[in-house]
Amino acid sequence: MSELVTPPEPVTPPEPGASRADSTRTGPGRLLVAIYALFALSATARAGVQIATKFSHAPVAYVLSAFAGAVYILATVTLSVGSPTARRIALFSCSIELAGVLAVGTWSLADPASFPDATVWSGYGSGYGFVPLVLPVFGLLWLRRWTGRSRARRAAAMSAENADAVTAAGASAERKRH
Amino acid sequence: MNGAVSTTIIVAGLALAGYALLMTALNHRMNVPMLAAVGVLEILLLVQVGIIVAKLADGERPAGLATLIGYLIATPLVPVAAAFWGLMERSRWGPAVVAVAGLVAAVLMVRLHQIWPVIHV
Repeated sequence: MSELVTPPEPVTPPEPGASRADSTRTGPGRLLVAIYALFALSATARAGVQIATKFSHAPVAYVLSAFAGAVYILATVTLSVGSPTARRIALFSCSIELAGVLAVGTWSLADPASFPDATVWSGYGSGYGFVPLVLPVFGLLWLRRWTGRSRARRAAAMSAENADAVTAAGASAERKRH
Repeated sequence: MNGAVSTTIIVAGLALAGYALLMTALNHRMNVPMLAAVGVLEILLLVQVGIIVAKLADGERPAGLATLIGYLIATPLVPVAAAFWGLMERSRWGPAVVAVAGLVAAVLMVRLHQIWPVIHV
């Protein structure tokens, strides 16, 4: 049980040599945020116009477009903020995005009648050069790189706890969440 | 006239994207020639917006007027936003952002034509 008393790892200080600006919005993240911002703007604006002018024409498609726009906005903001909490939300929104593009892509092919007008995610994003399908994958890979370091440290802590069995594992999962 | 401007923008956008991707591949940061190229694209886009606004002022209207106006506002912002965002990045990924802007400019011309077919490509 003594491991449980071990305080959770402190907020990671920046590694020596890493500049202050080093975050999910720099490096390749710069490109990622730019593309996310583009999709946030285009999906939201498009859905806004469609809902305002001809909602009854394709309500399912327009609501899904608006939802996609909201997910893109969330990913853009959290990736550009880049704090640990923001990264967790970004991980969540990129996962929702990947699930969304796969689900809506399949749905739009299986039941075209529900989609008289296209959404960003119709046909797995075929109307947007399949960028909507590729983008969340790169987003998740990029975020994974950022969690890898702290995860390695946690894995070491976990293996020490493994000797301590089930209760410890539950508690560490709880701690991981905080 | 119209078609010539759209075509020029598509060619310029793709050329800028190619140049910027080369800069990324060669591990170069944003520099003055790249900014100048972005400036040229910006001017071309403003000319295009001007032509379309003149058409609207003549009393012609597309079916999707709201969408067109949205595009007219957003289009000139693309190179400006890309230049700022790219300049903040002191690595090869700055030009990569500019490459996206070049591709987007080309795609926007095709979309403008779809929204209002009188805008030839």
